[in-house]
Amino acid sequence: MVKVYSSNYSYDYGFSAVSLAYFLRYPNPYARHVASTDTISRSYDPVTQRLTTVRLHLKRSRLPPAVLKVLPKSSVGASSDGSTQSFILEKSVVDVKEGWMETESRNIDWSNVLSVIERQTYRRPALANPTADEITAFQRDGTIKVQDDDRTDVAVSVTLKSRIGEQLRKRRQRWGEQAGATSVIGAGEEEPAVKQGWFSSWSSSAIRSAVESISLQRTEKSQPKAQKGMSVVLSRLRHGGIQEVLEGMRHDREVEL
Amino acid sequence: MSASLAPECNEVKERYDSCFLKWYSEKYLRGTAKTDECEPLFKQYKTCLSKALKERGIDQMLEEARADNKENDAEYLKPSIR
Repeated sequence: MVKVYSSNYSYDYGFSAVSLAYFLRYPNPYARHVASTDTISRSYDPVTQRLTTVRLHLKRSRLPPAVLKVLPKSSVGASSDGSTQSFILEKSVVDVKEGWMETESRNIDWSNVLSVIERQTYRRPALANPTADEITAFQRDGTIKVQDDDRTDVAVSVTLKSRIGEQLRKRRQRWGEQAGATSVIGAGEEEPAVKQGWFSSWSSSAIRSAVESISLQRTEKSQPKAQKGMSVVLSRLRHGGIQEVLEGMRHDREVEL
Repeated sequence: MSASLAPECNEVKERYDSCFLKWYSEKYLRGTAKTDECEPLFKQYKTCLSKALKERGIDQMLEEARADNKENDAEYLKPSIR
């Protein structure tokens, strides 16, 4: 089973500012848990004018107590209070000519428990084609003048899929019974290591479904926060350009320390 | 600027990030970028980061994640058995 969250909204800022804010969005007052952001690869195609970026974020988080309760102990690598960290791999493509940006982020650890794939599309509204105003919006000192009627449309979807129990099945397929007898990673305690009967497969799927439901509730709370975080970065950009965003980041980090 | 997961790469990352932000806002977004001018700085940053990822065993995790994603994507596309 898979659960999907989706949402559409828009920012009252032009596409240029929004795409820049996307690269500058961590840390912000609504995302102090993002400990680091690294660029893994970046390529620019001068013919299509598309820019492809892969980044790796490290987020510190705390598993909700409800999740800790339903998870088999063997699959929880977190400390007893549920504090943990996770790596997020983010790929983005910007097409400045056509005025869109597509992003995809997924967790690369913990995926035996839950796989979260977030996809976003940022689009310059069809009528507001790349205007001369927007092109000259960036001044030499890095400050941005944005037209009040500027807008960027956003579509977000988050796909949540729990894989508890799957890991073990895959391993069994690869290595036969031997793996089943020794590996318990990702398996429920209720799941006998050797033979998977009807009851144990039902209970694995019940756990998966519970994890997905809890995560969906979490996503419903975290998505508006992500939006607010972007708005803070956008407003800093408007007031004082990149410099103000960087100063803001420094402040946001200090508050956490 | 956001921090690197490897503190030893922070300095070179900051130099690269500054270069990128300037290039992105002043050239790329204006449609006047001919090449990625920050590539030399990126190479320096990448050298530091690759070493750090390897030392921490994250490079392997990245590779596995990419391989696993392909496998899972293929599974999603398969018709459901039930």
